[in-house]
Amino acid sequence: MARSTAMKAAGLILALLIFTFFSLAASSSNNQIQILNAERRIDLSSHIVKVFLTLKVENVGTSPASEIFLAFPPSQADQLALVKAQAAIGKKKKKSYVHLDVNPTQLPDAPNGTKYFSISLLNPLSSGETATLEVLYILTHSLEPFPAEISQLESQLVYFRDSALILSPYHIKQQTTFIKTPSTKVESFTRVEPTKFAGRELKYGPYEDRPPYSFSPVIVHLENNSPFAVVEELLREVEISHWGNLQITEHYKLVHAGARHKGVFSRVDYQSRASVKGASSFKHLLASLPPRVHSVYYRDEIGNISSSHLRTDYRKSELEIEPRYPLFGGWEGYLCYWIRATTGRLPFSSLLMASVTSTSALVVPLPRPHTLLMLMPDNVLSQVVLPEGSKDPSAAVPYPVEQHLETKYSYLDVVGRTVLVLEKKNVVPEHITPFQVYYTFKPIFMLAEPLMLASVYFLFFMACVAYLQIDISIRK
Amino acid sequence: MAAAITSPVPVAWYPTLAILMLAVGLIVTASFFIYEATSSRRNRSLAKELTTGALASFFLGFGTLFLLLASGVYV
Repeated sequence: MARSTAMKAAGLILALLIFTFFSLAASSSNNQIQILNAERRIDLSSHIVKVFLTLKVENVGTSPASEIFLAFPPSQADQLALVKAQAAIGKKKKKSYVHLDVNPTQLPDAPNGTKYFSISLLNPLSSGETATLEVLYILTHSLEPFPAEISQLESQLVYFRDSALILSPYHIKQQTTFIKTPSTKVESFTRVEPTKFAGRELKYGPYEDRPPYSFSPVIVHLENNSPFAVVEELLREVEISHWGNLQITEHYKLVHAGARHKGVFSRVDYQSRASVKGASSFKHLLASLPPRVHSVYYRDEIGNISSSHLRTDYRKSELEIEPRYPLFGGWEGYLCYWIRATTGRLPFSSLLMASVTSTSALVVPLPRPHTLLMLMPDNVLSQVVLPEGSKDPSAAVPYPVEQHLETKYSYLDVVGRTVLVLEKKNVVPEHITPFQVYYTFKPIFMLAEPLMLASVYFLFFMACVAYLQIDISIRK
Repeated sequence: MAAAITSPVPVAWYPTLAILMLAVGLIVTASFFIYEATSSRRNRSLAKELTTGALASFFLGFGTLFLLLASGVYV
Protein backbone atom coordinates (compact mmCIF):
# COMPACT_ATOMS: atom_id res chain seq x y z
CA MET A 1 0.00 0.00 0.00
CA ALA A 2 2.68 2.45 0.99
CA ARG A 3 4.83 1.36 -1.93
CA SER A 4 2.11 2.11 -4.50
CA THR A 5 1.52 5.63 -3.14
CA ALA A 6 5.25 6.23 -3.09
CA MET A 7 5.46 5.12 -6.69
CA LYS A 8 2.52 7.34 -7.62
CA ALA A 9 4.19 10.32 -5.94
CA ALA A 10 7.44 9.62 -7.74
CA GLY A 11 5.59 9.42 -11.03
CA LEU A 12 3.85 12.75 -10.38
CA ILE A 13 7.11 14.46 -9.48
CA LEU A 14 8.74 13.08 -12.62
CA ALA A 15 5.86 14.34 -14.74
CA LEU A 16 6.07 17.76 -13.09
CA LEU A 17 9.79 17.95 -13.72
CA ILE A 18 9.39 17.02 -17.37
CA PHE A 19 6.62 19.59 -17.77
CA THR A 20 8.64 22.40 -16.24
CA PHE A 21 11.66 21.44 -18.31
CA PHE A 22 9.68 21.62 -21.54
CA SER A 23 7.96 24.87 -20.64
CA LEU A 24 11.30 26.44 -19.81
CA ALA A 25 12.79 25.20 -23.06
CA ALA A 26 9.87 26.58 -25.05
CA SER A 27 10.01 30.05 -23.59
CA SER A 28 13.76 30.16 -23.18
CA SER A 29 14.40 31.76 -26.55
CA ASN A 30 13.03 35.14 -25.60
CA ASN A 31 14.74 35.43 -22.24
CA GLN A 32 18.05 33.94 -23.24
CA ILE A 33 19.29 36.24 -25.97
CA GLN A 34 19.81 39.93 -25.74
CA ILE A 35 20.92 42.18 -28.58
CA LEU A 36 23.64 44.54 -27.39
CA ASN A 37 23.90 46.63 -30.50
CA ALA A 38 21.83 46.63 -33.67
CA GLU A 39 22.63 48.74 -36.70
CA ARG A 40 20.33 48.73 -39.70
CA ARG A 41 21.18 50.31 -43.04
CA ILE A 42 18.31 50.60 -45.49
CA ASP A 43 19.31 51.32 -49.07
CA LEU A 44 16.56 52.98 -51.09
CA SER A 45 18.65 53.97 -54.11
CA SER A 46 17.05 51.52 -56.49
CA HIS A 47 13.51 50.24 -56.71
CA ILE A 48 14.46 47.20 -54.66
CA VAL A 49 14.91 47.88 -50.95
CA LYS A 50 18.09 46.35 -49.53
CA VAL A 51 18.51 46.20 -45.78
CA PHE A 52 21.81 45.38 -44.06
CA LEU A 53 21.38 44.47 -40.44
CA THR A 54 24.36 44.06 -38.08
CA LEU A 55 23.47 42.43 -34.80
CA LYS A 56 25.70 41.93 -31.81
CA VAL A 57 23.95 39.30 -29.74
CA GLU A 58 24.76 38.08 -26.25
CA ASN A 59 23.56 34.97 -24.54
CA VAL A 60 22.37 36.02 -21.07
CA GLY A 61 20.62 32.75 -20.31
CA THR A 62 22.05 29.60 -18.90
CA SER A 63 21.86 27.11 -21.75
CA PRO A 64 23.66 27.45 -25.09
CA ALA A 65 21.64 28.91 -27.95
CA SER A 66 21.95 27.55 -31.45
CA GLU A 67 19.37 29.71 -33.19
CA ILE A 68 18.72 33.40 -33.46
CA PHE A 69 15.28 34.54 -34.58
CA LEU A 70 14.52 37.44 -36.90
CA ALA A 71 11.03 38.94 -36.82
CA PHE A 72 9.21 40.69 -39.67
CA PRO A 73 5.80 42.34 -39.73
CA PRO A 74 3.39 40.31 -41.91
CA SER A 75 3.18 42.95 -44.68
CA GLN A 76 6.97 42.99 -45.04
CA ALA A 77 7.25 39.22 -44.87
CA ASP A 78 5.20 38.92 -48.06
CA GLN A 79 7.56 41.24 -49.88
CA LEU A 80 10.73 39.49 -48.79
CA ALA A 81 12.67 38.16 -51.72
CA LEU A 82 15.85 37.07 -50.01
CA VAL A 83 17.22 36.69 -46.50
CA LYS A 84 20.92 35.93 -46.09
CA ALA A 85 23.03 35.82 -42.96
CA GLN A 86 26.72 35.53 -42.25
CA ALA A 87 28.82 35.51 -39.13
CA ALA A 88 32.01 37.50 -38.73
CA ILE A 89 34.94 35.54 -37.39
CA GLY A 90 38.24 36.98 -36.29
CA LYS A 91 39.46 40.41 -35.33
CA LYS A 92 39.63 43.62 -37.28
CA LYS A 93 42.36 42.81 -39.77
CA LYS A 94 41.65 39.16 -40.30
CA LYS A 95 37.89 39.23 -40.53
CA SER A 96 36.33 36.46 -42.54
CA TYR A 97 32.72 35.70 -43.10
CA VAL A 98 30.96 32.39 -42.83
CA HIS A 99 27.60 31.87 -44.46
CA LEU A 100 24.77 30.78 -42.17
CA ASP A 101 21.53 29.02 -43.01
CA VAL A 102 18.35 31.02 -42.69
CA ASN A 103 14.98 29.28 -42.70
CA PRO A 104 11.44 30.53 -42.19
CA THR A 105 9.99 29.27 -38.99
CA GLN A 106 7.02 29.63 -36.68
CA LEU A 107 7.01 30.60 -33.05
CA PRO A 108 4.03 29.69 -30.88
CA ASP A 109 3.07 33.08 -29.43
CA ALA A 110 3.59 35.53 -32.28
CA PRO A 111 1.92 38.89 -31.62
CA ASN A 112 -0.10 40.39 -34.53
CA GLY A 113 0.90 37.74 -37.03
CA THR A 114 4.65 38.36 -36.96
CA LYS A 115 6.61 36.12 -39.26
CA TYR A 116 9.96 34.68 -38.20
CA PHE A 117 13.18 33.47 -39.74
CA SER A 118 15.68 31.48 -37.77
CA ILE A 119 19.42 31.75 -38.30
CA SER A 120 21.29 28.56 -37.42
CA LEU A 121 24.59 29.37 -35.76
CA LEU A 122 27.68 27.33 -36.60
CA ASN A 123 28.70 26.83 -32.98
CA PRO A 124 26.08 27.17 -30.27
CA LEU A 125 26.49 30.36 -28.31
CA SER A 126 27.26 29.50 -24.73
CA SER A 127 26.21 31.55 -21.75
CA GLY A 128 27.89 34.93 -21.54
CA GLU A 129 29.28 34.84 -25.07
CA THR A 130 28.64 37.39 -27.77
CA ALA A 131 28.54 36.99 -31.52
CA THR A 132 28.25 39.39 -34.41
CA LEU A 133 25.84 38.53 -37.21
CA GLU A 134 25.30 40.32 -40.47
CA VAL A 135 21.97 39.88 -42.17
CA LEU A 136 20.95 41.04 -45.62
CA TYR A 137 17.35 41.02 -46.70
CA ILE A 138 15.72 42.37 -49.80
CA LEU A 139 12.18 43.64 -50.18
CA THR A 140 10.39 43.99 -53.49
CA HIS A 141 7.31 46.06 -54.27
CA SER A 142 7.67 47.98 -51.02
CA LEU A 143 8.06 51.47 -52.44
CA GLU A 144 4.66 52.94 -53.17
CA PRO A 145 4.55 55.73 -55.76
CA PHE A 146 2.81 58.82 -54.42
CA PRO A 147 1.44 60.78 -56.26
CA ALA A 148 0.14 57.80 -58.18
CA GLU A 149 0.15 59.63 -61.50
CA ILE A 150 2.81 61.96 -62.87
CA SER A 151 3.36 63.62 -66.20
CA GLN A 152 6.47 63.23 -68.33
CA LEU A 153 8.25 66.23 -66.85
CA GLU A 154 7.78 65.41 -63.18
CA SER A 155 10.04 63.25 -61.13
CA GLN A 156 8.76 60.28 -59.22
CA LEU A 157 8.09 60.40 -55.48
CA VAL A 158 7.50 57.31 -53.41
CA TYR A 159 6.42 56.34 -49.91
CA PHE A 160 8.58 54.03 -47.85
CA ARG A 161 6.94 52.57 -44.77
CA ASP A 162 8.89 50.89 -42.02
CA SER A 163 9.53 51.14 -38.31
CA ALA A 164 12.12 53.32 -36.60
CA LEU A 165 12.62 50.57 -34.05
CA ILE A 166 13.87 47.20 -35.23
CA LEU A 167 11.23 44.52 -34.70
CA SER A 168 12.78 41.69 -32.75
CA PRO A 169 11.73 39.03 -30.26
CA TYR A 170 14.68 40.06 -28.09
CA HIS A 171 15.46 43.01 -25.87
CA ILE A 172 17.66 45.49 -27.76
CA LYS A 173 20.03 47.62 -25.73
CA GLN A 174 21.10 50.07 -28.40
CA GLN A 175 19.92 50.43 -32.00
CA THR A 176 20.30 52.85 -34.89
CA THR A 177 18.69 52.90 -38.30
CA PHE A 178 20.23 54.66 -41.32
CA ILE A 179 18.18 55.20 -44.46
CA LYS A 180 20.09 56.03 -47.62
CA THR A 181 18.08 57.98 -50.17
CA PRO A 182 18.88 58.19 -53.88
CA SER A 183 18.92 61.99 -53.92
CA THR A 184 18.95 64.83 -51.45
CA LYS A 185 15.29 65.56 -52.06
CA VAL A 186 13.07 64.14 -49.33
CA GLU A 187 9.57 65.58 -49.14
CA SER A 188 8.79 64.54 -45.60
CA PHE A 189 9.59 61.95 -42.98
CA THR A 190 8.11 60.97 -39.65
CA ARG A 191 10.12 62.19 -36.72
CA VAL A 192 10.81 59.74 -33.92
CA GLU A 193 13.35 61.55 -31.77
CA PRO A 194 16.31 61.51 -32.09
CA THR A 195 16.12 61.87 -35.89
CA LYS A 196 18.61 63.58 -38.16
CA PHE A 197 18.58 64.15 -41.90
CA ALA A 198 21.77 65.29 -43.61
CA GLY A 199 22.71 65.01 -47.28
CA ARG A 200 21.44 61.66 -48.46
CA GLU A 201 21.17 59.91 -45.14
CA LEU A 202 18.31 59.83 -42.68
CA LYS A 203 19.29 58.63 -39.22
CA TYR A 204 16.82 57.27 -36.68
CA GLY A 205 18.41 56.77 -33.32
CA PRO A 206 20.28 55.80 -31.32
CA TYR A 207 17.51 54.33 -29.19
CA GLU A 208 18.33 52.76 -25.85
CA ASP A 209 16.80 49.79 -24.06
CA ARG A 210 13.74 48.85 -26.05
CA PRO A 211 11.62 45.85 -25.03
CA PRO A 212 10.97 42.98 -27.42
CA TYR A 213 8.45 43.56 -30.24
CA SER A 214 8.58 47.33 -29.99
CA PHE A 215 7.49 48.94 -33.24
CA SER A 216 7.24 52.58 -34.24
CA PRO A 217 5.88 53.06 -37.77
CA VAL A 218 7.44 55.80 -39.90
CA ILE A 219 6.74 56.97 -43.44
CA VAL A 220 9.42 58.56 -45.60
CA HIS A 221 8.31 60.40 -48.74
CA LEU A 222 11.27 60.65 -51.06
CA GLU A 223 12.24 61.12 -54.67
CA ASN A 224 13.28 57.97 -56.46
CA ASN A 225 13.80 58.11 -60.20
CA SER A 226 15.23 54.68 -60.77
CA PRO A 227 13.15 52.80 -63.31
CA PHE A 228 10.62 50.56 -61.64
CA ALA A 229 10.78 47.90 -64.28
CA VAL A 230 8.86 44.87 -63.26
CA VAL A 231 8.83 41.75 -65.37
CA GLU A 232 5.47 40.15 -64.92
CA GLU A 233 6.57 36.91 -66.41
CA LEU A 234 9.92 35.75 -67.63
CA LEU A 235 9.99 32.60 -69.69
CA ARG A 236 13.40 31.11 -70.45
CA GLU A 237 13.84 28.14 -72.64
CA VAL A 238 17.16 26.35 -72.88
CA GLU A 239 17.38 23.82 -75.64
CA ILE A 240 20.22 21.34 -75.60
CA SER A 241 21.31 19.49 -78.68
CA HIS A 242 24.09 16.96 -78.65
CA TRP A 243 25.03 17.89 -82.16
CA GLY A 244 26.85 20.75 -80.51
CA ASN A 245 24.44 23.59 -79.77
CA LEU A 246 22.86 25.29 -76.81
CA GLN A 247 20.04 27.68 -77.53
CA ILE A 248 18.57 30.06 -74.97
CA THR A 249 15.36 31.94 -75.68
CA GLU A 250 13.92 34.48 -73.29
CA HIS A 251 10.53 36.11 -73.35
CA TYR A 252 9.85 39.15 -71.17
CA LYS A 253 6.57 40.77 -70.34
CA LEU A 254 7.57 44.14 -68.94
CA VAL A 255 5.52 46.56 -66.95
CA HIS A 256 6.63 49.84 -65.45
CA ALA A 257 5.28 49.66 -61.94
CA GLY A 258 6.09 53.17 -60.85
CA ALA A 259 3.84 56.22 -60.86
CA ARG A 260 1.44 56.03 -63.78
CA HIS A 261 2.07 58.34 -66.70
CA LYS A 262 -0.63 60.92 -67.39
CA GLY A 263 -0.86 63.44 -70.16
CA VAL A 264 0.91 63.22 -73.49
CA PHE A 265 4.23 61.67 -74.35
CA SER A 266 6.38 64.07 -76.31
CA ARG A 267 9.15 62.32 -78.23
CA VAL A 268 10.83 65.64 -78.91
CA ASP A 269 11.09 66.47 -75.23
CA TYR A 270 12.25 62.98 -74.47
CA GLN A 271 15.04 62.92 -77.02
CA SER A 272 16.32 66.36 -76.15
CA ARG A 273 16.70 66.08 -72.39
CA ALA A 274 15.79 62.63 -71.28
CA SER A 275 17.38 63.05 -67.88
CA VAL A 276 14.88 65.72 -66.97
CA LYS A 277 11.89 64.83 -69.10
CA GLY A 278 11.12 61.23 -68.50
CA ALA A 279 13.61 60.67 -65.70
CA SER A 280 11.88 57.60 -64.40
CA SER A 281 11.34 55.86 -67.71
CA PHE A 282 12.88 52.56 -68.54
CA LYS A 283 15.22 52.69 -71.50
CA HIS A 284 17.73 49.86 -71.59
CA LEU A 285 18.00 46.23 -70.73
CA LEU A 286 21.46 44.84 -70.17
CA ALA A 287 22.06 41.14 -70.38
CA SER A 288 25.34 39.48 -69.51
CA LEU A 289 25.79 36.31 -71.48
CA PRO A 290 28.32 33.48 -71.65
CA PRO A 291 31.31 34.02 -73.93
CA ARG A 292 31.25 32.97 -77.58
CA VAL A 293 27.60 33.33 -78.31
CA HIS A 294 26.41 33.76 -81.84
CA SER A 295 23.20 34.15 -83.80
CA VAL A 296 21.71 36.62 -81.37
CA TYR A 297 18.37 37.98 -82.38
CA TYR A 298 15.95 40.23 -80.59
CA ARG A 299 12.38 40.99 -81.45
CA ASP A 300 9.07 42.05 -79.99
CA GLU A 301 5.45 41.48 -81.05
CA ILE A 302 5.82 43.46 -84.26
CA GLY A 303 9.10 42.10 -85.43
CA ASN A 304 12.81 42.58 -85.35
CA ILE A 305 14.30 45.43 -83.37
CA SER A 306 17.64 46.65 -84.50
CA SER A 307 18.53 49.00 -81.65
CA SER A 308 20.75 46.59 -79.80
CA HIS A 309 24.48 46.13 -79.32
CA LEU A 310 26.40 42.95 -78.68
CA ARG A 311 29.89 43.24 -77.29
CA THR A 312 31.89 40.05 -76.91
CA ASP A 313 35.19 39.25 -75.35
CA TYR A 314 36.80 36.04 -74.24
CA ARG A 315 35.25 36.07 -70.80
CA LYS A 316 31.70 37.19 -71.37
CA SER A 317 29.39 38.83 -73.84
CA GLU A 318 27.15 41.76 -73.15
CA LEU A 319 23.91 42.48 -74.93
CA GLU A 320 22.41 45.92 -74.58
CA ILE A 321 18.82 46.05 -75.69
CA GLU A 322 16.80 49.17 -76.26
CA PRO A 323 13.08 48.61 -76.85
CA ARG A 324 11.21 50.57 -79.51
CA TYR A 325 9.71 52.93 -77.00
CA PRO A 326 10.73 53.83 -73.46
CA LEU A 327 8.47 52.53 -70.76
CA PHE A 328 6.68 55.08 -68.62
CA GLY A 329 4.51 54.37 -65.62
CA GLY A 330 1.78 51.88 -66.36
CA TRP A 331 3.12 51.07 -69.85
CA GLU A 332 3.69 47.50 -70.91
CA GLY A 333 6.10 45.97 -73.31
CA TYR A 334 7.00 42.55 -74.62
CA LEU A 335 10.31 41.45 -75.99
CA CYS A 336 12.10 38.24 -76.64
CA TYR A 337 15.63 37.42 -77.57
CA TRP A 338 17.56 34.29 -78.29
CA ILE A 339 21.20 33.37 -78.32
CA ARG A 340 23.13 30.33 -79.35
CA ALA A 341 26.32 28.96 -77.94
CA THR A 342 28.42 26.19 -79.40
CA THR A 343 29.21 23.62 -76.78
CA GLY A 344 32.57 21.99 -76.34
CA ARG A 345 34.78 24.63 -77.87
CA LEU A 346 37.26 25.04 -75.02
CA PRO A 347 37.40 22.74 -72.03
CA PHE A 348 37.38 25.32 -69.28
CA SER A 349 34.36 27.19 -70.45
CA SER A 350 32.27 24.57 -72.13
CA LEU A 351 28.70 24.47 -71.07
CA LEU A 352 27.93 20.81 -71.59
CA MET A 353 30.00 18.27 -69.72
CA ALA A 354 29.91 14.51 -69.35
CA SER A 355 30.78 12.78 -66.17
CA VAL A 356 32.57 9.48 -66.29
CA THR A 357 31.08 8.13 -63.07
CA SER A 358 28.34 6.50 -65.07
CA THR A 359 28.65 5.90 -68.76
CA SER A 360 26.09 8.42 -69.85
CA ALA A 361 25.32 10.77 -66.96
CA LEU A 362 25.61 14.37 -67.99
CA VAL A 363 26.20 17.55 -66.09
CA VAL A 364 25.21 20.87 -67.56
CA PRO A 365 26.49 23.87 -65.62
CA LEU A 366 24.25 26.66 -66.82
CA PRO A 367 25.15 30.12 -65.68
CA ARG A 368 21.92 32.08 -65.63
CA PRO A 369 22.98 33.72 -68.84
CA HIS A 370 21.91 37.21 -68.06
CA THR A 371 22.26 39.76 -65.35
CA LEU A 372 18.91 41.37 -64.96
CA LEU A 373 20.18 44.70 -63.75
CA MET A 374 17.22 46.87 -62.87
CA LEU A 375 14.66 44.13 -63.37
CA MET A 376 12.47 42.54 -60.78
CA PRO A 377 10.76 39.44 -62.16
CA ASP A 378 7.62 38.39 -60.39
CA ASN A 379 7.71 34.92 -61.79
CA VAL A 380 10.53 33.14 -63.60
CA LEU A 381 9.84 30.00 -65.57
CA SER A 382 12.89 28.15 -66.84
CA GLN A 383 12.40 25.29 -69.23
CA VAL A 384 15.29 23.04 -70.04
CA VAL A 385 14.54 21.01 -73.15
CA LEU A 386 16.62 17.86 -73.14
CA PRO A 387 17.45 15.78 -76.20
CA GLU A 388 15.01 13.08 -77.21
CA GLY A 389 15.61 9.90 -75.32
CA SER A 390 17.06 11.40 -72.16
CA LYS A 391 15.95 10.01 -68.86
CA ASP A 392 16.01 10.95 -65.17
CA PRO A 393 16.29 14.69 -65.38
CA SER A 394 16.98 16.53 -62.17
CA ALA A 395 18.21 19.98 -61.29
CA ALA A 396 20.52 21.18 -58.54
CA VAL A 397 19.54 24.75 -57.75
CA PRO A 398 20.90 26.69 -54.75
CA TYR A 399 17.48 28.01 -53.68
CA PRO A 400 14.05 26.40 -53.60
CA VAL A 401 12.21 26.16 -56.90
CA GLU A 402 9.21 24.19 -58.08
CA GLN A 403 10.03 21.51 -60.61
CA HIS A 404 7.92 19.44 -62.92
CA LEU A 405 8.29 17.64 -66.24
CA GLU A 406 6.63 18.26 -69.56
CA THR A 407 7.00 16.92 -73.08
CA LYS A 408 7.74 18.98 -76.13
CA TYR A 409 7.55 17.89 -79.74
CA SER A 410 10.16 19.50 -81.89
CA TYR A 411 12.10 18.69 -85.07
CA LEU A 412 12.36 15.00 -85.94
CA ASP A 413 10.75 13.86 -82.70
CA VAL A 414 8.91 10.61 -82.27
CA VAL A 415 8.37 10.30 -78.54
CA GLY A 416 8.93 13.94 -77.69
CA ARG A 417 11.61 15.68 -75.69
CA THR A 418 11.58 15.77 -71.92
CA VAL A 419 11.33 19.31 -70.60
CA LEU A 420 12.35 20.11 -67.05
CA VAL A 421 10.41 23.15 -65.87
CA LEU A 422 11.67 25.19 -62.91
CA GLU A 423 9.51 27.93 -61.50
CA LYS A 424 10.41 30.58 -58.95
CA LYS A 425 8.49 33.59 -57.74
CA ASN A 426 9.86 36.92 -56.56
CA VAL A 427 13.34 36.89 -57.99
CA VAL A 428 16.01 39.53 -57.34
CA PRO A 429 19.48 39.93 -58.86
CA GLU A 430 21.04 38.17 -55.89
CA HIS A 431 19.39 34.98 -57.13
CA ILE A 432 21.59 34.92 -60.20
CA THR A 433 23.81 31.91 -59.67
CA PRO A 434 24.66 29.00 -61.90
CA PHE A 435 22.56 25.93 -61.59
CA GLN A 436 23.06 22.47 -62.95
CA VAL A 437 20.82 20.03 -64.70
CA TYR A 438 21.61 16.33 -64.66
CA TYR A 439 20.24 13.77 -67.05
CA THR A 440 21.24 10.50 -68.67
CA PHE A 441 21.43 10.19 -72.39
CA LYS A 442 22.72 7.43 -74.60
CA PRO A 443 24.50 8.86 -77.65
CA ILE A 444 23.14 6.04 -79.78
CA PHE A 445 19.77 7.82 -79.74
CA MET A 446 21.29 10.52 -81.90
CA LEU A 447 21.44 7.98 -84.71
CA ALA A 448 17.67 7.69 -84.72
CA GLU A 449 17.29 11.01 -86.54
CA PRO A 450 19.25 10.27 -89.73
CA LEU A 451 17.88 6.75 -89.79
CA MET A 452 14.38 8.16 -89.66
CA LEU A 453 15.14 10.41 -92.61
CA ALA A 454 16.75 7.54 -94.54
CA SER A 455 13.76 5.31 -93.96
CA VAL A 456 11.43 7.97 -95.35
CA TYR A 457 13.49 8.14 -98.55
CA PHE A 458 13.59 4.34 -98.69
CA LEU A 459 9.81 4.18 -98.48
CA PHE A 460 9.65 6.59 -101.40
CA PHE A 461 11.93 4.35 -103.51
CA MET A 462 9.95 1.26 -102.62
CA ALA A 463 6.77 3.03 -103.62
CA CYS A 464 8.38 3.73 -107.00
CA VAL A 465 9.35 0.08 -107.36
CA ALA A 466 5.87 -1.07 -106.43
CA TYR A 467 4.26 1.37 -108.84
CA LEU A 468 6.46 0.21 -111.68
CA GLN A 469 5.80 -3.45 -110.97
CA ILE A 470 2.05 -3.21 -110.74
CA ASP A 471 0.21 -3.64 -113.98
CA ILE A 472 -2.87 -1.46 -113.99
CA SER A 473 -3.65 -1.39 -117.67
CA ILE A 474 -7.14 -2.29 -118.61
CA ARG A 475 -6.22 -3.72 -121.93
CA LYS A 476 -3.57 -6.44 -122.32
CA MET B 1 36.27 13.92 -63.81
CA ALA B 2 34.20 15.40 -66.51
CA ALA B 3 34.78 15.68 -70.20
CA ALA B 4 33.20 18.19 -72.49
CA ILE B 5 30.54 16.84 -74.79
CA THR B 6 31.22 17.40 -78.44
CA SER B 7 29.32 16.35 -81.45
CA PRO B 8 30.44 13.02 -83.00
CA VAL B 9 31.20 14.88 -86.20
CA PRO B 10 33.18 18.15 -86.02
CA VAL B 11 30.85 21.09 -86.42
CA ALA B 12 33.03 22.71 -89.05
CA TRP B 13 32.46 19.77 -91.37
CA TYR B 14 28.66 20.05 -91.42
CA PRO B 15 28.27 22.05 -94.68
CA THR B 16 30.90 20.03 -96.54
CA LEU B 17 29.43 16.73 -95.45
CA ALA B 18 25.93 17.89 -96.36
CA ILE B 19 26.91 18.75 -99.91
CA LEU B 20 28.99 15.62 -100.40
CA MET B 21 26.38 13.24 -99.10
CA LEU B 22 23.55 14.86 -100.98
CA ALA B 23 25.57 14.77 -104.19
CA VAL B 24 26.34 11.08 -103.80
CA GLY B 25 22.75 10.39 -102.85
CA LEU B 26 21.40 12.16 -105.90
CA ILE B 27 23.83 10.29 -108.18
CA VAL B 28 22.65 6.95 -106.79
CA THR B 29 19.03 8.10 -107.15
CA ALA B 30 19.72 8.92 -110.76
CA SER B 31 21.22 5.49 -111.32
CA PHE B 32 18.15 3.93 -109.70
CA PHE B 33 15.74 5.73 -112.01
CA ILE B 34 17.90 5.04 -115.08
CA TYR B 35 17.78 1.37 -114.25
CA GLU B 36 14.02 1.53 -113.84
CA ALA B 37 13.56 3.33 -117.14
CA THR B 38 15.90 1.26 -119.25
CA SER B 39 14.95 -2.23 -118.17
CA SER B 40 11.78 -3.98 -119.12
CA ARG B 41 9.57 -5.61 -116.60
CA ARG B 42 10.82 -9.09 -117.22
CA ASN B 43 14.49 -8.29 -116.84
CA ARG B 44 14.21 -6.36 -113.62
CA SER B 45 15.96 -7.78 -110.61
CA LEU B 46 14.36 -6.86 -107.31
CA ALA B 47 17.63 -7.27 -105.44
CA LYS B 48 19.35 -4.62 -107.54
CA GLU B 49 16.43 -2.22 -107.11
CA LEU B 50 16.41 -2.71 -103.36
CA THR B 51 20.14 -2.22 -102.93
CA THR B 52 20.24 0.88 -105.09
CA GLY B 53 17.22 2.27 -103.27
CA ALA B 54 18.71 1.53 -99.85
CA LEU B 55 22.03 3.11 -100.73
CA ALA B 56 20.37 6.18 -102.18
CA SER B 57 18.10 6.64 -99.19
CA PHE B 58 21.02 6.22 -96.75
CA PHE B 59 23.04 8.96 -98.42
CA LEU B 60 20.06 11.20 -98.91
CA GLY B 61 18.98 10.75 -95.31
CA PHE B 62 22.36 11.64 -93.85
CA GLY B 63 22.77 14.43 -96.34
CA THR B 64 19.45 15.96 -95.28
CA LEU B 65 20.44 15.69 -91.64
CA PHE B 66 23.72 17.51 -92.20
CA LEU B 67 21.91 20.06 -94.33
CA LEU B 68 19.54 20.76 -91.45
CA LEU B 69 22.42 21.01 -88.98
CA ALA B 70 24.45 23.26 -91.24
CA SER B 71 21.56 25.65 -91.72
CA GLY B 72 21.06 26.06 -87.98
CA VAL B 73 18.18 23.70 -87.24
CA TYR B 74 19.93 21.72 -84.55
CA VAL B 75 17.74 18.65 -84.37
